[in-house]
Amino acid sequence: MIGFLEGLKVTLKTAFRKPVTDQYPDPDKRRQVAPRYMGFPALLWDSDVPEPYCTGCMVCVRACPTQCMSAQMTDNPKFATDESRRRKIIEEFEINLGRCILCGICVDVCNFDAIEMSHEHELSKYRRNGNRMDLDDLLGMGMKYQTETGWQPSNPSKNSGVPVKKPEGSERPRRRPPRGGARTGGARASNAGASERAASDNSGDSGDGGGSGGGSGD
Amino acid sequence: MTLTQAIYYALGAVGLFLFLSLVVIVLTWAERKALARIQMRMGPMRVGLHGALQPLADSIKLFTKEDILPSWADRRVYWFAPIAVFIPALMLWLTLPVARDLVLRNLEMGLFYITAISVLSVMGLVMAGWGSANKYAMLGGLRAAGQLVSYEIPFIMAILGVAMLAQSLDLTKVVDGQTTFAYALIQPVGLFLFLTAGLAELGRTPFDIHHAESEVVGGPFVEYSGAHWAAFFLAEYLNTFTVAALTVLLFFGGWQWPTMPFDGLAHSTLSLAWFMLKTSLVIWLIFWIRGTFPRLRIDQLMSFGWKLLVPLSFLNIIATGVVLFYGWDLWTLTAISLVLLGGTAYIIRKNPGTSIERDTVRVVSASSLRR
Repeated sequence: MIGFLEGLKVTLKTAFRKPVTDQYPDPDKRRQVAPRYMGFPALLWDSDVPEPYCTGCMVCVRACPTQCMSAQMTDNPKFATDESRRRKIIEEFEINLGRCILCGICVDVCNFDAIEMSHEHELSKYRRNGNRMDLDDLLGMGMKYQTETGWQPSNPSKNSGVPVKKPEGSERPRRRPPRGGARTGGARASNAGASERAASDNSGDSGDGGGSGGGSGD
Repeated sequence: MTLTQAIYYALGAVGLFLFLSLVVIVLTWAERKALARIQMRMGPMRVGLHGALQPLADSIKLFTKEDILPSWADRRVYWFAPIAVFIPALMLWLTLPVARDLVLRNLEMGLFYITAISVLSVMGLVMAGWGSANKYAMLGGLRAAGQLVSYEIPFIMAILGVAMLAQSLDLTKVVDGQTTFAYALIQPVGLFLFLTAGLAELGRTPFDIHHAESEVVGGPFVEYSGAHWAAFFLAEYLNTFTVAALTVLLFFGGWQWPTMPFDGLAHSTLSLAWFMLKTSLVIWLIFWIRGTFPRLRIDQLMSFGWKLLVPLSFLNIIATGVVLFYGWDLWTLTAISLVLLGGTAYIIRKNPGTSIERDTVRVVSASSLRR
């Protein structure tokens, strides 16, 4: 009998405590995820240029264990007008978030700081294919993540799209015409290494890995 | 019966029905909120302000749901069972006064009528158990029969004790008898018996084995859905309100104020409010008990009823009879009652049902049966 009264006392006490409920879907009252939370991958936006960090190099697409991504590369028009350092830029990118397992391998393999695990974690959509995120969606997720966390690229000197200041006239002779009788493989390799080589201009092609390809292309 | 009387009763019945429906709707919401607070949750919050329209949404959902009839069900029994539970719950309110003269028909044998009608709902539960053609429903129905019939005895005995004190079976006179002291003060043991047995009659949580979700998955209600299930649900909450109201009427002085400065309409309105306040406190106590205690096992329940509540209720009657016969002061009855209550507490503490377990739960192997 005393035990009964004690039980009643316990429940009476808890009845006057503050409820532990978070009103989940409420945007104001819901609890925020932790800063290091790994949600779905998103593409980041280089607001200095402005364009995506992603060059469409397909590394993430190839590394993805669930094959939930696809990417399409294109020539960067801003590179032609010297507004950007990126020769190639992403044209189409799609991630099927319903298939993504949030492993983060795409982030680990990315050489351009272009993809990051964002804070998005909700999959409820009104359409059956609503979780297939195209480039705009992914960039939107990324921009939200960037503004929320104040994200900075881990290697800004390498991956910023801001064109490197070059000495006048030093670059023009190094650039080969796109066709010029060269094999495509060689042309692509020389393109990839072009900007670095332009900064430290030597007459010979000895140097980095791109150099050997460029040498065979000559 | 004249035409005006007939119209009066018809209007009264309709008004009573609307009032009770409103009360039941509020109760479903209040119970969810109360349980949620006890468990540090918020309860319904989405529909309306703090979920106030949740019962409405629930009822729309229930009444648009399909009524499923199991193919093996006894069709007529199955469809009639919810009505057989709901009608007695409603009929009780014929004679329950909520304020002085605010009653459909004050019967001189009101308490007798109430005890007679309240037993009827057992039949509905057994019918539901039988008609569903489901073993869980059948088990639940039989459990309901066993439980409700055994707890009917202390329930009626507690009512009888009050009737002896009031020297009447008329509920208005019972309330009038409490102008100086509420019967809860004179007969604490009667209050304990009435509340405990009342909880068992309702099938509320410490005694809800006949629709125990973990054992008989809803008991007699397993197969029901939609409006017929809603009828069971309504009857359950209506009975909760009835037991709370009866507790207030029999033990807490009904609508009686300590002092009442008003008369006329203000008096009636305030009496009604006072009565509803008392009733809601008792209802909150019932919810509180539900949020606190786990369910009893069937054998614990039966032994508690038969070995403790029934003897205690008889002792209560005998003590009341002796005190009244010899014309002793009523405080002696209070003292005797408290001694009885203390004795009960002692018995519960000393013997928490362990020896009962050993006697009743026995594993019988098939080979020993064959021999």
